[in-house]
Amino acid sequence: MRIVKLKQKNLNPFLEVISENTELWAPVRKYTDRHVFAQVEDVSQIDVDYTRTILPPRKIFLPPSFNMFTATEKEYKENFSHATKKILFGIHPCDIHGLLIMDQFFNYVFEDPYYTQARNNTLLLGHSCWPDEHCFCKSTRTHIIEEGYDLFFHRLSEDYLVWIGSSKGDDLIRLMPDCFEEKLSDEDIQFYIRLREQRNEAFQTEVNFTAMPDLMELKYNHPLWEKIGTACLACGSCTNVCPTCNCYNVMDHPQLKERGSLIHRDWDTCTLQSYSEVAGGENFREKRSDRLKLWYTHKIQAYISKYGKPGCVGCGRCIATCPVDINVKTVSQALDGKDVDAFWNRLNKGEIK
Amino acid sequence: MNKDKVKIGIYELTGCAGDALLILDCENELLDIFKAADIQSFSMAKSDNIDGNLDVVLVEGSVSTEREVEELKDIRKRSQLVVAIGLCATVGGIQARFTNPKEWEKNFKKVYGDVKMEHTPPLQSKPIDDYVKVDYYLPGCPIGKEQFLHLFTRIVKGAPPEKYPRPVCVTCKFKENDCLLNRDILCLGPLTADGCGAACISHNLPCVGCWGPVEGANLTSEYYLLKEKGFDVEYIKKKMANYSGTKIAEFFEKIKEEKK
Repeated sequence: MRIVKLKQKNLNPFLEVISENTELWAPVRKYTDRHVFAQVEDVSQIDVDYTRTILPPRKIFLPPSFNMFTATEKEYKENFSHATKKILFGIHPCDIHGLLIMDQFFNYVFEDPYYTQARNNTLLLGHSCWPDEHCFCKSTRTHIIEEGYDLFFHRLSEDYLVWIGSSKGDDLIRLMPDCFEEKLSDEDIQFYIRLREQRNEAFQTEVNFTAMPDLMELKYNHPLWEKIGTACLACGSCTNVCPTCNCYNVMDHPQLKERGSLIHRDWDTCTLQSYSEVAGGENFREKRSDRLKLWYTHKIQAYISKYGKPGCVGCGRCIATCPVDINVKTVSQALDGKDVDAFWNRLNKGEIK
Repeated sequence: MNKDKVKIGIYELTGCAGDALLILDCENELLDIFKAADIQSFSMAKSDNIDGNLDVVLVEGSVSTEREVEELKDIRKRSQLVVAIGLCATVGGIQARFTNPKEWEKNFKKVYGDVKMEHTPPLQSKPIDDYVKVDYYLPGCPIGKEQFLHLFTRIVKGAPPEKYPRPVCVTCKFKENDCLLNRDILCLGPLTADGCGAACISHNLPCVGCWGPVEGANLTSEYYLLKEKGFDVEYIKKKMANYSGTKIAEFFEKIKEEKK
């Protein structure tokens, strides 16, 4: 690993040069206060002053809905049109951790070619961030990143300190060698260290993840789940915005004009009633509380025993998204025995007049 | 006529005929639609209709007269599969939102006066599954092209159609719209069946629920959520009832009970 310095004013010219023959994806503003990852034609569209995007970056590697292959009686034609060569700039540490979890998941026993091909074709250029009231990545220890990126840009006051994390990242630097300084001053280093300390102290939300696997087990039949289930709108938003959710549904779309079918792959959501329905109409998780229990067991218990870390990276998207306040923060605090200020709790207490 | 082709009839009961019109509006696919199936009866599209035995019928509109009850029962007898298309056939439509029979009588009088309907006695509007068994439902007001072509293609290729068990929120999130409920706007996305492509919300307008209630919708939670946000309860109920026909009558009874 090597660390170099880049003047902030040289960032956009650098991005322009490296994306000459490659798609550039980066955070752009949508609405006044929301952001999304989008393909940018003009680097001036990029807005690095964002906290979290609406959908996580996994949408770039496995789009919410795409055609996997076309099949007829005789032929089978794969479609990898989503796996073009890309540079993803501006991704935060929590989201890089999210992708590292997805990497493990989609290569655990069998490789998922649709994910890995898109992943192998994409360079990750991370960017530093500052926590808002919903961020709790310090609790999941995903607020810093030591691997998984090609370049990582730490913003100081006028410069960037750029971590080079891979040989491909190094190749990018070499496209504009004059812009990068090898020598860092003592002030730069001290400034970076101070900033890091200040950022560590800026987190307002904390979740006790160490206790979660045990608490999930101990409170598996706790009435708490019924309460949460009473309020759940079953809209599927929590899983769609989660950077580590990976369920999908495969559906045949027969073609009216030609023979054969398009085989579509859509993101699926375990909080929907239809998710656990099988042939014959039997449904294993008809109750909303059972579906939520499945999701939280998966995120804060099963992942830890399987991969050694939770399936939550503390991005705060579920907190910012769920209209009835069912999220990793309120659920874990409630599991911990706390009386949380959340719509689902107020609804159950009969406080809504 | 080709013996191998699926015999289809498209019938309209009480409604705006918007669903039949949407089928005709599939202009790029229209020739293929007529090529792929043997469309025996489709009064909006042609005049040489044969009302015999059919493989599949698509029925639009709600049942609102005695004659329509007879017509519908006859259609059911003649067809292997019955598909309800559009909001009126699936839930009863906007005309079915008055679930209380007394209320319906009162409203009928208000509109028509004391007139006697001689042609056929009127009935309170109901979805078609109040009278006959329905095999598949294609919701929407009107139905969407994409969902219609998907269902139609599956039928003519011999595959069973699929249910639409997702709420609007799923596609809305796919499109990365900001949640309107979180901005304290009355949006019925979580209660409404998907299929419109989150059309309204993508234009910054709230979902009014025109695809009808989604399977598994949590009406109680959304009702109290909107109440907590300060919306008038009568206004919330009106909005929820608009496109729900007779399908969420139970919920309104429950809310009434809770009030007592």
